[in-house]
Amino acid sequence: MTLSPIISPVAVTAYQCVSAGGDDVEALYASLIANQTCLKPLTLFAIPFDTLVGEVTSPLPAIRSSLQAYDCRNARLALKALDQGGFRAHVERAVAKHGAARVGLILGTSTSGIYDSENAYARLHQDGLMPDDFYFTKVQTAQATAEFLRLELGLQGPCYAISTACSSSAKALAAAQRLLATDCCDAVLVAGVDSLCRLTLRGFNSLQLIAAEACRPMDTERQGINIGEGAALLLLEKPRAENADRPRLLAVGESSDAHHMSAPHPDGVGAATAMAEALRLAGRDASEVDYINLHATASTLNDLSEARAVGSLFPNPPPCSGVKGLFGHTLGAAGAVETVVSLLALERGFLPGTCGLRVPDPECRFPVVAAPDLQVSPRLILSNAFGFGGNNASVLLEAA
Amino acid sequence: MECMSLLGVGACAPDTEFRASLPFPAFDINRDTIPPLLRRRSSQAMQMAFSAATAACEKAQRPPSAFPAIFASVAGEIKTTDQICTELVKDDGVISPAGFHNSVQNTAAGYWSIAQQCTQPASALAAGSDTLPMALLEAWCQLACQGGELLLVCYDETWPEYLDPGRGNPAFACALVLAAGAVDGRLMQIGRPQAGEAIFPAAWTNSVNSMPILAAIPLLEAVSAGKGAQTIALTPHTPGWQVDVRGWE
Repeated sequence: MTLSPIISPVAVTAYQCVSAGGDDVEALYASLIANQTCLKPLTLFAIPFDTLVGEVTSPLPAIRSSLQAYDCRNARLALKALDQGGFRAHVERAVAKHGAARVGLILGTSTSGIYDSENAYARLHQDGLMPDDFYFTKVQTAQATAEFLRLELGLQGPCYAISTACSSSAKALAAAQRLLATDCCDAVLVAGVDSLCRLTLRGFNSLQLIAAEACRPMDTERQGINIGEGAALLLLEKPRAENADRPRLLAVGESSDAHHMSAPHPDGVGAATAMAEALRLAGRDASEVDYINLHATASTLNDLSEARAVGSLFPNPPPCSGVKGLFGHTLGAAGAVETVVSLLALERGFLPGTCGLRVPDPECRFPVVAAPDLQVSPRLILSNAFGFGGNNASVLLEAA
Repeated sequence: MECMSLLGVGACAPDTEFRASLPFPAFDINRDTIPPLLRRRSSQAMQMAFSAATAACEKAQRPPSAFPAIFASVAGEIKTTDQICTELVKDDGVISPAGFHNSVQNTAAGYWSIAQQCTQPASALAAGSDTLPMALLEAWCQLACQGGELLLVCYDETWPEYLDPGRGNPAFACALVLAAGAVDGRLMQIGRPQAGEAIFPAAWTNSVNSMPILAAIPLLEAVSAGKGAQTIALTPHTPGWQVDVRGWE
């Protein structure tokens, strides 16, 4: 049963992604099909415990001299993604077509350029002064990399960051869709970007959530999470005849657990509400969903909460899987990175596997896809992202 | 949607001297608005945000659990983040679990939803010197797409001096309860934020250059003065952002 949508769908006219899963979407697709973990020991900085991470180890591009004040690992990850597979040309086409003032930019990030701030604090500790080339509001505050991308691309539309921890860039997609639905913009660039940093590695370690080995989402023997980094870029435009062959973002459902700052609601009430809300906004029924990309961090509480949420909302749940065993939890970038994974599944016709899964937790009352399934071409996909503060978002995508 | 209606407003300015200089009513932090279990641990940012938000909901005569919330801030939980960054460079530095999860930008948004038992969406937004207009634009888009009412809170606590010398002071928070369309009992009608060249009042330029969230002062002054139709600058720079408003007069 298809009801009329409450919010207009938007076309995803281009997307790119840099992560430990590969430097572009072609490499990411190959990683998804190979389903072998890309998690490795951390080389970027030292930490006082064992873990594996999803680190981007290929070289990152330099920031142009006129934008040097914005230079940080986060901006470099974003720039790298921008220059993959002709993505920049898609944005330039949108600017030429709609005008720079009609192209907006929403960034989702949790820690912005704080990896570079940490290096600046080391200098402060040593010398008593922050380095001369440290610019707080161009590196550390949440909108910094949004401003960098806006200047790099010459965009003049609305530009801001959503920073709601691990749901940040899923909610950035929601904000971008609203900018289009209300005719504030004709195109919106959504960027989900987060880099590895000491704060999140050691922070999650203090919560005793870090796995020493590669994580095993939804597995009975899960031992915690692996942190990753990445930059995912998506260009959203109003649906038109010329983009009728592009996949659609139908809606993003959002909710709050109202339960705990760092632990999800045990029964997944907020997660279920977010998924239900995405379906309601899009005028779709749960029975139409072909596949769910789970948030599935491999922390016990998160996995069980999400498993119960899926069980409560779907009388006959579709196949589900989680990809964080491949390239880690990219935190504020995860919503956008895994939307890209879901778009690849829609466009290339497969179900991603769950790298690391051996024995699904019995709480998972739904089929958990262990190895990638190339026999299934999903048409309607939900992709979940849940964060601290009980902040939930679920992205609903449809094939062209 | 033709306009938003402002149903309630609240402002919090902990510094007594600064508060006295403001052209609209503002209050000190009201610790009664923070749940007892959170009082000891909560940041200045969160205490101000809760104080302003509670005042705005009371003024609007709406229960705080009734609607979605947008928390907008340039620097978020900067004092907590600063403490963690300071610990991270020490060989024996200690990172506490609560310190970590209280360093995220949506700390105030998360605790607000928990304290009010509000399961509606809560967002946390940042846009540097455009934080106020982008927050109003996000509010506009949410109301235009889904109707109803929402709470918008703009706040920033003071920043450690060495991070951004000469900026990040004084601390301030304001909260607006907004409704879709023209609603009875409104304090003000607010249009869609637009790019434009409205001139920011010279009297407040230095303040807002020091603390970007103070860009809300002309808007809050207009609410208090209650005059007729006018265009309010939302940024100190031009071209920047502006909004058309109509007071109750």
